[in-house]
Amino acid sequence: MSVLLDEAQLQIADEAQRLVSAHYSGERLKGYLLERGAFDRELWERFGAQGWTAICYPEAFGGLDLGLLELGLVAEACGGAVTGVAALTSSFAMGQSLLYFGSEEQKADWLPQLAAGSVIGVVAFAEGQDMLPRAPRLRLEAGRLSGSKPAVVAGGIADGAVVLALGADGPVLALVDLSQRGVSRTLLDTFDNSRCTADLVFDDVEAHELPGSIDALAAARAILRLQAVIIGFEQVGGAQKMLTTARDYALTRRAFGQPIGAFQSVKHRIAEDYVLVELARANAIHAASRSGESDFGLYAAAARISATEAYDGVSRDAVQVHGGIGVTWEADLHLHQRRARTLAVEAGPLIFWEDEVITELQGAAQ
Amino acid sequence: MTDLTAYRSAARAWIEGKIAEFGREARRGLTPAEDLALGRRYLAAKYEAGYSGISWPRENGGQGLSPTEKLAFDREEILHGFPTEYFSISLGMPVPIMLRYLPDGWKQERAIAALRGDEIWCQLFSEPAAGSDLAALRTRAVQDPDNGDWILNGQKLWTSWAHLADYGVIVARSDPNVAKHRGLTYFWVDMKAPGVTVRPVTLAAGDAHVNEVYFDDVRIPDAQRLGPVGGGFGVAMETLIIERYSATDPAANGPSIARALADATRMTRDGRPLIEDGRVRERIARNFATQAALASIHRRALLSLEAGTQPGSEGAIHKLVSVRNRQRLSEFMIDIEGVSGVRWNEQATRKDDWATSWLTAPTGRIAGGADEMLLNTIAERILGLPQDHRPDKGVPFNEIPG
Ligand SMILES: Cc1cc2nc3c(=O)[nH]c(=O)nc-3n(C[C@H](O)[C@H](O)[C@H](O)COP(=O)(O)OP(=O)(O)OC[C@H]3O[C@@H](n4cnc5c(N)ncnc54)[C@H](O)[C@@H]3O)c2cc1C
Repeated sequence: MSVLLDEAQLQIADEAQRLVSAHYSGERLKGYLLERGAFDRELWERFGAQGWTAICYPEAFGGLDLGLLELGLVAEACGGAVTGVAALTSSFAMGQSLLYFGSEEQKADWLPQLAAGSVIGVVAFAEGQDMLPRAPRLRLEAGRLSGSKPAVVAGGIADGAVVLALGADGPVLALVDLSQRGVSRTLLDTFDNSRCTADLVFDDVEAHELPGSIDALAAARAILRLQAVIIGFEQVGGAQKMLTTARDYALTRRAFGQPIGAFQSVKHRIAEDYVLVELARANAIHAASRSGESDFGLYAAAARISATEAYDGVSRDAVQVHGGIGVTWEADLHLHQRRARTLAVEAGPLIFWEDEVITELQGAAQ
Repeated sequence: MTDLTAYRSAARAWIEGKIAEFGREARRGLTPAEDLALGRRYLAAKYEAGYSGISWPRENGGQGLSPTEKLAFDREEILHGFPTEYFSISLGMPVPIMLRYLPDGWKQERAIAALRGDEIWCQLFSEPAAGSDLAALRTRAVQDPDNGDWILNGQKLWTSWAHLADYGVIVARSDPNVAKHRGLTYFWVDMKAPGVTVRPVTLAAGDAHVNEVYFDDVRIPDAQRLGPVGGGFGVAMETLIIERYSATDPAANGPSIARALADATRMTRDGRPLIEDGRVRERIARNFATQAALASIHRRALLSLEAGTQPGSEGAIHKLVSVRNRQRLSEFMIDIEGVSGVRWNEQATRKDDWATSWLTAPTGRIAGGADEMLLNTIAERILGLPQDHRPDKGVPFNEIPG
């Protein structure tokens, strides 16, 4: 069932919007864009203080025991302000991996810190063009990890990781402390450096299987779905922001004696964008409300597809509506353009989620 | 179990009990007259069972429940292809609007007859020169100074089911000397009155449920006027939004995603099921994602109705997105069927056949508000963007260059 937001959820959304947008600075973000390895640590610390890093954990681990929707609303606010903090969703994914599949000891070691935001976590599943490689090149042999993972979001700043590796009997999920010797990271130059994306290399590093992840690919897929829904909300936030920006500009910028928003090619473009945002928002909310249900995978995938279509589409149109000013470094539109594409590929590109939809539909039809 | 859940399951049980007699299969192969008769029988059964006029007041023959119950019922009913289309406009707009404006007595008799499927009302708004721009209509209503009667002359176009209709609601120009939307007056008419001529218009897919309707000196008493003289545009707008939110099918009454999946699994290319082709997967997956969003938007609208707030843009989004989606998917499914995709089946319906769905889809993007008008509505009402430039704004109707 889809939901209407309740009082408490509206409050979280408002609070997040307020704090994140007050903190927004295009200038600061451009700094992070130019500099590899830097991110908005100050904002990240506020997230912790605000309890946002704790949203999806049980109270026993210092969490707030709330759901995907609540975290999604925070992510939506972050999306609107293109925050320079990839860790919210990366830490979430690592924490959920441990929560669902970790040992009691692994949970006790990491979850309270992840919930507090005092450490940063990541997941590293993908290799090459495979989001969930069946035979990962990264190896786990006798508790030692060797090999590498490419383009890990927040990999440049993370303290711990859950990785998909090949064990003695097939793929496994393993927990690795990134502060160990033998771990090296190479920050990548990306079109959105604030993500601190890095290649991670492991040279005979201690790592521990997550005992609950007997079917590691299914476990990784489950985590990816959770992360995809939260990132979906972040995309919705970005798309909504671009929509509002385009609308506002169309009302003020004049040409041929009238606001450009009075020209139907502009006006209808913006109306179409509104529809894209509403579709994406509806799917994100619905997916969040299906967490734990058998059709969650289907709706998570649908949410991801709509979110990517919306953020890419609306940010593309917003630049167009702005004319020349839209393509300058000065205007902040390119920040969204960059972030839209970054988020689109980070948690699995469209072709991955399209396959997910079909597979799930086929499963449901059987 | 909430009251609504109980209502919905009772409704579902009743509806499911009617599938054999009135469902899609039962209608296959019927002549138009037989199908209409079946439709009338279905409406009578529905009336007896207490599922007619669910959200109308009891004194008008309704059940006195809320739009929520009505939507719950419609949502179940829509699934089975019952012969309700003859009555949907009648019960959706003309009858509810006349109930608002006419005095008690006669109107209740008409309402009950309409609910039972015995009588049908049509909506005579559009004309050859007035569709999206309704206020540009030319049908004249001239008042006889002696007795106050009105004489109607002119032509309406696209009137759905006018050939079956007993009554209609009509907007006509009573004063050409003022701005176009100020000079209109609204009436109800007897479709069997002298001077009314109905001629069918065949649509692209071969069906003829719309008509042109001519009015030649059709005389109607002033008592058949709804609303003030010159207030017709307002009553017309009120008519169009009377059904704020109606049951929707994310597949826009075309074949379902499950059907697309099944077809793409059955069909092969080089011996492999087409569903393994990435292009097919992409199309179906994206179409599904959009339909899932529409379904979610619909459920949210229902929840807000239950919570007592009026839904906003949901209806416009649904109409705009779902029909285009259906059109594209239908086109694509014909494509992947290959050379036999061109087959045409006279008996098929848009719900169970891609070709029929495809050929009838354009209608859905025009009738009841064209895509472009919906975009204007969203842009202006929701996003606050400026109105289009309108050269005829404020100009007396008879001074607008024709
Ligand atoms: C199957 C069917 C059933 C119908 N049933 C009824 C009925 O029962 N009763 C009734 O009264 N009417 C009925 N209609 C008429 C329907 O409401 C009109 O067809 C519709 O409003 C469009 O008007 P039009 O056909 O005159 O097209 P036009 O208004 O001439 O539009 C032509 C094109 O111009 C575009 N356009 C027009 N104005 C603008 C603008 N301002 N900005 C941008 N683009 C614009 C339109 O979007 C469209 O693409 C029916 C139509 C169909 C097809």
